[in-house]
Amino acid sequence: MTWKDLKNRFKRRFSDYLELPGDIMLDLPKIILVGNLQVFIENHRGIQEYNPKLVRVVVNDKVVEVTGEGLTLRNILTDEICVEGRINSLSFYN
Amino acid sequence: MLFGMLSRLGGYVTVTLPEECLEKFINLAVSRGIFLWDITGIGTGRVVMKVRLSSVQALRHVARMTGCRFKIIERHGLPFFVSRLRRRRAMAAGALLFVAALYVLSSFVWFIEVSGNKRVTDQVVEQVAHRAGLKLGVSRWSLNIPALEETILNQVPGLSWVGVYVEGTRVYIKVVEKKLPPPDETEYPVDLVAARDGLITEMLVFSGYPLVEEGDTVAKGQVLLSSVALPPPADAEEIAPYGEEELSEEEQPSRYVRARGIVRARVWYEAVADVKLVEKGAEITGRETTRFGIKIGSKEIILIGPRKIPFEHYARHVESKRVPEWRNINVPVELLTVKYHEEKPYINRYTGDEARRLAYRKALDSIRGRLTGSAAIADERLEELTAPEPGTVRVKAIVETLEDIGMNKPRT
Repeated sequence: MTWKDLKNRFKRRFSDYLELPGDIMLDLPKIILVGNLQVFIENHRGIQEYNPKLVRVVVNDKVVEVTGEGLTLRNILTDEICVEGRINSLSFYN
Repeated sequence: MLFGMLSRLGGYVTVTLPEECLEKFINLAVSRGIFLWDITGIGTGRVVMKVRLSSVQALRHVARMTGCRFKIIERHGLPFFVSRLRRRRAMAAGALLFVAALYVLSSFVWFIEVSGNKRVTDQVVEQVAHRAGLKLGVSRWSLNIPALEETILNQVPGLSWVGVYVEGTRVYIKVVEKKLPPPDETEYPVDLVAARDGLITEMLVFSGYPLVEEGDTVAKGQVLLSSVALPPPADAEEIAPYGEEELSEEEQPSRYVRARGIVRARVWYEAVADVKLVEKGAEITGRETTRFGIKIGSKEIILIGPRKIPFEHYARHVESKRVPEWRNINVPVELLTVKYHEEKPYINRYTGDEARRLAYRKALDSIRGRLTGSAAIADERLEELTAPEPGTVRVKAIVETLEDIGMNKPRT
């Protein structure tokens, strides 16, 4: 158990206790899925890979992988990405 | 929507770049605050994206740093449109000229319509309007409408009101003509004919040639005093016209006079009235309520007003407003204003005598409505007829009057 883990645990306790949203306190991504048509990923750290079948977005300390068909990046801002297309799956990798 | 309009206003370009350096390129661009959108792979190892015209310079910098070259393939938006127009000056000038011409031409009067006139011709009104300054091609703001109305009213004889309305490039002149009394000239050939059937009791001839005598029965429309002398029969003296000394010999062309005289006659009027012994009806009490709603198709939605009508008996008056039909488009939406008037039903029962009196009064009233002012009632009679169905009383009233039945009829 490193110092970083301890800090994270304390942060989570604290945010649970105060009922603060985790995306602010813990710097976690907020992902909104609209059906299988759109994914909004807030609080990202840039994209790792893009092609029409697969989009990988770096978040905090993980990678979000969106697979599907005909995926396009509808817009990219410094803290928000919107992926559009027919989405098949969304998964997290370390 | 708003975003699209804004980016069109500032201009944006579509660029492509090779797929392999996409991630680096995008991450760097985003961290520089360059806004990218609609990033799409097009399959052939290249990726298409859109970027604002204002950040293209910054994108070039990013491209140099990442070592990827991008190519601009499409240009959209106002700045490009303007520069395209700059190259085609004639087209821009033409478009501008078109709008300007439309605006300028729409500020002149191109149509003048005169309405409401029967005796006065359009030309007369138009000529006067022309002299007063309302002519084709005159500008709309130079029209002084009150002065124009007054001028037309004063200079065109026989008008009692003039209204001038400007609607777009069209000017409507609405006129109301004076109602003139019928021409009254003595030399005008006018016959005196019977206005009603009757038995002549008195005749007073001022001018004209009598064709009937006292004691004759005449039918409606029959000529009583003729305006033209008939070819003299054997005893020519008898039909010598009154008031005309020298008179129709056979060779003389017939002379016309205006027939005038008083012909009093006995006239009979009849009217039949039915009265039911038991009369049912409803009268309005004066209380009312209004309901306002929308009708979509066959479904009615109440917006304002009571859901349930608070009256037991009522009459309904519906007023509906809808979008006017245009071409084949018929909007199935109506605004409904429904007024409910409360009614109170009543039942009147009459005895035979009352019913008879009521029917008689009804019949007399209907006759009085038909009488002219000069008629003097000489006699009234009442007959009871057999009722058409049980429970009713049928009465016939006969009124005899003495009246002037003469009526002027211009000879055609």
